[in-house]
Amino acid sequence: MFRQLRARFGGPLAAAILTLLGIWLIVMVTLPQLQMIDYSLRPNLLPAQVGGPDDRLTLGNYATLFSNDIHRSIFLKTLWSSVLVTVLTLVVSYPLAWYLAKVATPRQAALCILLLIIPFWINEILRTYSWFIILSFRGPLNEVLMMTGLIDRPIRFLSGDGGVMVGMVYAYILFMVFPVYNAIESLDDNQVRAARDLGAGTVRTHRRIVIPHAKPGIATGCIMTFMLAAGSYAVPALLGSPGSRWFTQIIYNWFFEGGNWNQGAAYAFLLLVLCIGFMSLVMKLFKVGLGDIAK
Amino acid sequence: MSSQRLLAFGLRFYVVVFFLYLFLPLLIMAAATFNDSRFPTVTPWDGTTLRWFGELAADGGMWQALGNSVIVAFGVLCLAVPIGISTALFLNTVSSRAKPFLYALILSPLLTPGVIIGISTLIFWRQFGVSGGIFLTVLGQATFIAAYVMLMVTARLQRFDRTMERAALDLGASQWQMFRRILLPYLKPAILSAAVIAFLQSFENYNTTLFVVGYDTTLTVYIASKVRTGLTPAVNALGLILILVTVVLAVAYEVKRRREEAARARA
Amino acid sequence: MEGSVRLDEVVMRFGDFTAIETTSLTIESGEFFSFLGPSGCGKTTLLNIVSGFLVPSQGQVHIGGEPMAGVPVNRRPTAMIFQNLALFPLMTVFENIEFGLEVRGVDKKARREVSERLLALVALEGSGPKRVTELSGGQKQRVAIARALAVEPRVLLLDEPLSALDLKLRQHMRAELKTIQRKTGITFIYITHDQGEALTMSDRVAVMSAGRIQQVADPMTLYRSPATGFVAAFVGETNRLEARLIDREGKRIRLDGGVLGELAGCAGEGVELGNGERVALYVRPEHLKPVSADAAGPRLEGDVEAVHFEGASVMLETRLSASGETLRVQLGHEVSRQYADSLTVGQRMTFGYDPADAVVLPDDRPVVDETTGEMVEERTVTGGAHVPSA
Repeated sequence: MFRQLRARFGGPLAAAILTLLGIWLIVMVTLPQLQMIDYSLRPNLLPAQVGGPDDRLTLGNYATLFSNDIHRSIFLKTLWSSVLVTVLTLVVSYPLAWYLAKVATPRQAALCILLLIIPFWINEILRTYSWFIILSFRGPLNEVLMMTGLIDRPIRFLSGDGGVMVGMVYAYILFMVFPVYNAIESLDDNQVRAARDLGAGTVRTHRRIVIPHAKPGIATGCIMTFMLAAGSYAVPALLGSPGSRWFTQIIYNWFFEGGNWNQGAAYAFLLLVLCIGFMSLVMKLFKVGLGDIAK
Repeated sequence: MSSQRLLAFGLRFYVVVFFLYLFLPLLIMAAATFNDSRFPTVTPWDGTTLRWFGELAADGGMWQALGNSVIVAFGVLCLAVPIGISTALFLNTVSSRAKPFLYALILSPLLTPGVIIGISTLIFWRQFGVSGGIFLTVLGQATFIAAYVMLMVTARLQRFDRTMERAALDLGASQWQMFRRILLPYLKPAILSAAVIAFLQSFENYNTTLFVVGYDTTLTVYIASKVRTGLTPAVNALGLILILVTVVLAVAYEVKRRREEAARARA
Repeated sequence: MEGSVRLDEVVMRFGDFTAIETTSLTIESGEFFSFLGPSGCGKTTLLNIVSGFLVPSQGQVHIGGEPMAGVPVNRRPTAMIFQNLALFPLMTVFENIEFGLEVRGVDKKARREVSERLLALVALEGSGPKRVTELSGGQKQRVAIARALAVEPRVLLLDEPLSALDLKLRQHMRAELKTIQRKTGITFIYITHDQGEALTMSDRVAVMSAGRIQQVADPMTLYRSPATGFVAAFVGETNRLEARLIDREGKRIRLDGGVLGELAGCAGEGVELGNGERVALYVRPEHLKPVSADAAGPRLEGDVEAVHFEGASVMLETRLSASGETLRVQLGHEVSRQYADSLTVGQRMTFGYDPADAVVLPDDRPVVDETTGEMVEERTVTGGAHVPSA
């Protein structure tokens, strides 16, 4: 590898490139992850005990999740809710992506994309915070619903998982719209026309022509959305209630309230495994590779 | 045919509703800034005021956090941009059997939840006696932001005509001169874009930062803590200012990018 | 400034594939030398070996008498003009031309003098401050030439530089390149698959096929006395007839054309042939003339199948009555007018030629298995690849 780099860039530059790449991949990416796994496999000990007879590899930290009913149910809820967020986001995003790619005129599409990008540039915390205002007990949504007479008394939107999911769909929608849009855009218009011509209705055209073509984009969007949802801390922290905790909050508590980093590391690794599992599943279902995702 | 038209109308209606959904929350938050109420809301409207801007300006913690955010963002820039460029050059140059594996490793920070990047960074540096703070925040954020930089630089690098390189060498340039005078100027627009994106990503990051920031505070962490504890519309004032700044930056960046694209299309 | 290029037994392999078979060749200082061949024949590989982009698997390259082994691209006394020109799009015309001097540390004033002088040479005065993206195709071509000349190369390497231009401009640039070469006295090595370019500009041409030089000669010799069947077919147009050698008298050869009767021709350059050997006779369309059916000398009788009017001449496609093979005949203006009545489809005509214009070469066509269509044996070209080294 060094030889190829040196042939193109000369020795010093090739050395610099490899050094930076090495620092990143080894010191910043790989070793911290390995260290985290190592931590997760050791008991939580006092500093004096480290290296002593009790400092041995154990799966105890992982067993905690299965023996603690509350943690286990939160883990499963996080998994289930993240899947739900992913599906909802896809459903909401698909028509828009289709509109941008194939229905809108180029000028309209350009304007819409600019409009889409603007909220994307705004802080996730602020975007979530604005939902906090809307959904609060005496907030505008309740006021509007009461004014129109749909409800008699305000609803506590922020007490269950509903608020969290609304906030997540809002926060991550662009990670779905853009990959799906890019994928649909590359579809040849004539294929759609041909399908229509052959008598296929709207549903069939999408099911048989557009969606199969957009698969890599849909897969990318789903993977990103799921990862962001399952790994989100901000949204549940802002829009959730004590009764609707997210798995990331449990992890946080192990680190900064329970003071048990080993336990926290085990939970963090489980979250990572969850994300990798979902990603592998989606990649297998949609038959796409890693190369399709990074676009 | 009329069902087709109904569908087309339905789609347009949906797009309008979608954009309302996208912008209404931001507008409501902005409006709440001017409500003379102790809590951030637009209902009921207790009269219009600008006092929350004054309260914000007097908030020393906010200024401290803003300063930290800027320092962190510059730190991330200095680390993530060179790493991202190097990685893009590496991927563009090297062909090896280990490449698919390395590529997966290079992309992994993008597919890893931010909290985990924060946690692993925190744990790793503990053994060297480094605890949470600005330094670890820079390292943690740069870990995944470098991958974004790599993607943006790679996109442009793939369009580079390598005969330019050969021409430069053929005319007597050293490899360093070729890099300095030909390749780097070519990559400049992508590098600048990547730097802007990296800065913003760092500035607004929360999930990773939360775990590695220690007793320091960045602006995002500060806002989040305000939302959860002493909630006043001063947070909205801060949000409004940040939104305006980002909108102006975003529009300027987009306009510039489109103009360049149009110029390229003409050439 | 000595600009000769010598290749000593150069071989280039990429894995199992041999791109250049053992090749030795000397190009004189100040010569306009072309490599002509179809794509994939190895001509570009050879150019890259001279410029230093490729290191030959075996053999040596000398430029100006100095061995080039271990000398990297950026230290060789060569400059290349690339097929796509590879001008630097972010730089002005001045910056492009001065790039080679800039990286050598020449100061700004001296650089500007050189670029002004070269812009005058390529007739682009005043275009220096322009961006290269503002230039037309022909102007870009000139900038590329000026940029290459700025580094004062001993050898200029040109890799099909005219292929992107339209026909008129291409013909104009041919003349211009030749003029620049004469004015500067630099050795030009020109790569092309266009025989028109090679024949009009070059002092000598090397015809290449499948990694092997087939013949090196001046354009006229190449056309009149091709040394191999490939050269005969690739340079200009020709008819190929298979025959068996009866006997030879000096250069003149009598042939048994089988059903075609007795034919005649002259032995190709440096070709050894034995009596009774299977040979191929090459007759160019323009050397065939209508003759009366009982005329003396070799005669070929056929039916006209198509008549193509080409302006200055008429091209006939005829089918030989005896063998069914196609024979192409080109009639000049005078002759076609004389035979105007006969030039209709279906007309039977007899053609003759001067045996001095027909070339006899060993039958080097690969033997093809008739059932599978696969090549079963490749005949070696004996005495064909005759490469003179000066």
